[in-house]
Amino acid sequence: MTAPAIAATGLTRRFGQIRALRGVDLRLERGRRLALFGANGAGKTTLLRILGLGLAPDAGSLAIDGLDPRKDAQAARSRIGWLAHASLLYADLTARQNLEFWSRLYGVEDPAARAGQLLEEMQLTAYAEEPAGILSRGLSQRLSLARAMVHEPALLLLDEPFTGLDPYAADGLRARLKTTGGADTSFVLATHRIDDGLALSDQWIVLTRGKIVAAGSSPETDPQTVADAFFPARGAA
Amino acid sequence: MQRVVSRLDALVLFVTIVAIPVALWGAFLHAPTEQTMGAVQRIFYFHVPSAIMAYVAVVVLLGSSIVYLSRRDLAWDDLSKAATEVCLLFCTLVLITGPIWAKPAWGTWWTWEARLTSTLVLEILLIAALMVRRYAGNRDLGARLAAIIGITIAADVYVVHKAVDWWRGMHPEVFKAGNRGSLDERMTSVLFICMGAMFLLCITLIRLRYRTARIETRTEALRLERLD
Amino acid sequence: MKTVGFWRAAWLVARKDLQLEWRTFDALAASVVFAVVVLLVFQFAVGGGPARQLSADALVPGVLWLAISFSSVVGIARSMDVERRGDTLAGLFRAPIDRGAIYAGKLIANAVRIALLEVILVPLAIVFFNASLGGAWLELIFVLALCSFGLCALGTLFGAIVSRVGRGEALLSTLLLPASTPLLLAGVTATGALFRGDGLASVSRWLGMAAGFGLLYFFVALATFEYVLEE
Repeated sequence: MTAPAIAATGLTRRFGQIRALRGVDLRLERGRRLALFGANGAGKTTLLRILGLGLAPDAGSLAIDGLDPRKDAQAARSRIGWLAHASLLYADLTARQNLEFWSRLYGVEDPAARAGQLLEEMQLTAYAEEPAGILSRGLSQRLSLARAMVHEPALLLLDEPFTGLDPYAADGLRARLKTTGGADTSFVLATHRIDDGLALSDQWIVLTRGKIVAAGSSPETDPQTVADAFFPARGAA
Repeated sequence: MQRVVSRLDALVLFVTIVAIPVALWGAFLHAPTEQTMGAVQRIFYFHVPSAIMAYVAVVVLLGSSIVYLSRRDLAWDDLSKAATEVCLLFCTLVLITGPIWAKPAWGTWWTWEARLTSTLVLEILLIAALMVRRYAGNRDLGARLAAIIGITIAADVYVVHKAVDWWRGMHPEVFKAGNRGSLDERMTSVLFICMGAMFLLCITLIRLRYRTARIETRTEALRLERLD
Repeated sequence: MKTVGFWRAAWLVARKDLQLEWRTFDALAASVVFAVVVLLVFQFAVGGGPARQLSADALVPGVLWLAISFSSVVGIARSMDVERRGDTLAGLFRAPIDRGAIYAGKLIANAVRIALLEVILVPLAIVFFNASLGGAWLELIFVLALCSFGLCALGTLFGAIVSRVGRGEALLSTLLLPASTPLLLAGVTATGALFRGDGLASVSRWLGMAAGFGLLYFFVALATFEYVLEE
């Protein structure tokens, strides 16, 4: 039996007086895909940072792929892939060099082969020798996704991946995300876009003021249900 | 609701307010005029205690920086901020009073002597620490970076002092432990009174600045909560 | 999958920095040009008059260390700029490696850069000011390496701090140059002894201090670098 990608109970985090998270319980099995909805300031980013082990919770327990980050910090970090707002790429290295560097740092066996394979999967082979800094936002976002995948993480964290993409580039990324995940990789997709979130995931949650206020299974959910939980005021009106 | 100024603070403040005029009286009226240097020597009753208080504040800065990094309680950062600012104040006093005395006594405003150089380095690093704190995008980051700089400052001041000492070889020891006997009895007692008054002033300033920093931290948190 | 060890991670970070340097020559070009300009300005300012009275062995060590320290600020600031564009320091922070290794890696790359700078700078300074080293090349390399290590040890830590608050060279020089006074004094004194023809034995305590300074900050930085990178 494989351990769940995420097993979290009672996650809380304060910033000074502000309670960004007030007791979040979350369990995500390996291979399942989760859409995380929430308005700005609802605690999405804080939750993602905690799940990504960039930030420690004040209270609560967390296990990533069965590993306790407090005991096994490096091993737990090696199970996570992260697609952030920033590209996390070196502008002056080529696409290939970037992937090879991060592969090596994550201890991948054959970095060159892995980089080649990912460039192909993300349909970036034509741009492999271009510096990452000159790639368009869409291509760069796909390269960042490849970067997040170098070590075949158990858990992929995607923070608003569609921001700043034109519709065509967003389609390209959507197609890549559809083939990502499943089998061995779980992902958490944080987004405002309810349609995208539901189409790409197996289950969803809505975060409001640091708490999970609604959850469900994506295929059988009507976008309006999510929207109502998302904006409680509008739902009531 | 906590009091802004506790009873103990009020008492220390009161004693300080009494001690400062006593120190002034001692330095300007009670102590005899030094024979070779003349009236300008009196500035030493403030110069030397200020220098020592700057080092006291550096010790507070080092301690609070280390505790902040291990505990992450912003109260310790408030203390380290208070220590930084008070240390900067005393450092500035040293750097102003020093040359005023040095010009008539040594015939030069400034010399690259160990104490002068390390005080100047300390002054610059303290300003840099305050700059880093201000430029940091958020409070936690600023507190962490300032704590790291605080630790390096404390280590550095010591090394700078040692290095310049070697480099220049000699430096004037004004109140050396060995020659205290040659000082006039009244001079020594006035120096001790001034030392005590400056120490009280240092402690009071750090305490008060710490209190206001606590209040600033809390109001900032309330403001953020309202925006939440 | 196995996580990589401390020195392997440090080497990967250093190699990546040097790979970037090789592709752009950004930091190295900026600091070499800057250092040469410092030499030139110094030569113009004092070369005509006072330099005639001042012997070369009194002048060269000072000018040399002035140029090295100022241009190292330029180089270190550039090496941190590289990490800003893609927020890659945050990426390194989240990688399954020891955070101290990130510091060690950037330190190695900075040290290599300063070594290359010195290879160009020292002969130039000797030519510009007509100094003579009398064959003490190995000793000079030793002194340069020792003091430059300390400069990089502290500079890499301060460089990361300055980069976290989004400021460049000005704040870095405010922090690094005063704090490294002991190193510069050690460098000037030891280099001066070599140009005067005295052996290293005459300045051994300076060398000890430079080594102690470098090691002190190396370990302070290893212990605190994690807090600099923390989100």
